[in-house]
Amino acid sequence: MLAAVMEQRPQLMVSAAAGDADSFAALIEPLLDQAYRLAAVMLADRPAAEDAVQEASIKAWRKLRQLRGDLTSLRPWFLSIVANECRMTRRRRWWSVLKLADVPSSAWRSEERDTSNLHQALLNLSPEERLPLVLHFYLDLPLAEVARALRVSPAAAKSRIFRAARRLRSDLTLEEVI
Amino acid sequence: MTNENFRRELGHAFDEMAGSPSAALPDRVRSSLANVPEQKGPYWIAGVVAVVIALVVIGVLFVGNPLNHQPAKIVPGAGAIPTPSAAQSPSPCSSPTPSSQPFVCASSTSFTGQQPPPSAYVDAVRTGTHTGYDRLTIEFQNGQPQSIQLQPQANTAFTRDGIGATVNLAGNDGLLVTIFSGDAHTAYSGPSDIKTGYTGLLEVRLVGDFEGYVHIGLGLAKPACYRAVIMTNPARLVIDIQTP
Repeated sequence: MLAAVMEQRPQLMVSAAAGDADSFAALIEPLLDQAYRLAAVMLADRPAAEDAVQEASIKAWRKLRQLRGDLTSLRPWFLSIVANECRMTRRRRWWSVLKLADVPSSAWRSEERDTSNLHQALLNLSPEERLPLVLHFYLDLPLAEVARALRVSPAAAKSRIFRAARRLRSDLTLEEVI
Repeated sequence: MTNENFRRELGHAFDEMAGSPSAALPDRVRSSLANVPEQKGPYWIAGVVAVVIALVVIGVLFVGNPLNHQPAKIVPGAGAIPTPSAAQSPSPCSSPTPSSQPFVCASSTSFTGQQPPPSAYVDAVRTGTHTGYDRLTIEFQNGQPQSIQLQPQANTAFTRDGIGATVNLAGNDGLLVTIFSGDAHTAYSGPSDIKTGYTGLLEVRLVGDFEGYVHIGLGLAKPACYRAVIMTNPARLVIDIQTP
């Protein structure tokens, strides 16, 4: 099905641009898994991540004209909207997110003690620090797309990936990361 | 540590954090997109306004036609099973009928369920118009929710849960229906906003469905005089808004 959607993407984009919501839904469906994973890591809250993806999909649909039919930018464009929705979710519900992500309690720590040290180190990063790592290492986006999703230059994206990675492993070199 | 090792370890750690999305996510997104109009340019807006005005004129003529005695029927959303409108009192029930209740004005009402399910799934929202009242029926798939509260208000501004944005419904006054331990996204796939075209109940909108609380805003033409009753088999909340 994914292959069929990929083949039909130009036609779907034309239909979506003409106002067909079903075409837009089909266009972004292959991206929903990545969008969810990005949101889940940023929010550390799975139900909230699905809410954020849903809300981001609606916003993307409303902003589709911004994309100007550029299919190559669809993924970073959509993921940037998801990331922005996650930021807004955190701002709106700061108390909840603090509870889960930013201020790990002793109980949270004890639940996590069986997980890897890297997992714990990731939880200690801020969501903004996790974002470039998710995009580059988890979703396997090329640097150019990471930059577009972060809305920064490729050089700045590279720097953000490296800085965040160094917070996980202080002995890493730039060549090992990128 | 090599780049590949680092990437692999990170991937595992991220997998632990994220898990997998629910299988319903694509349908949920598709359903929400189907109910959201794309934002159009000013020319489109002008066209849409013209069409709306035409529909309102037709609606007024339709409602005002004395030969028309058929209750208006609001179509449930795409994918919903067609059901009779609330006007036709869909199912047999042993509970008291709404018409046996008096109308109350500007006061709140509460219902508490006996042996409620952990989460009561809304599976249908219907509206209908009758002589003397407009009716809203909210049907539950798995029983009466833990608690329901109806709160009249002197405006049509409702706050959307989770977003915090204010939405203004049609009309001058409002009635907020709060369903505790409710869920309007699992079994319900109909429209989240129904503009009825009636004279009392003007608009019904799902303004919140978040963390077990379902909020449904009603836009009314005038201060709420209503009667509400819980009916069974299937469980449903019936609200009649008094009309002149």
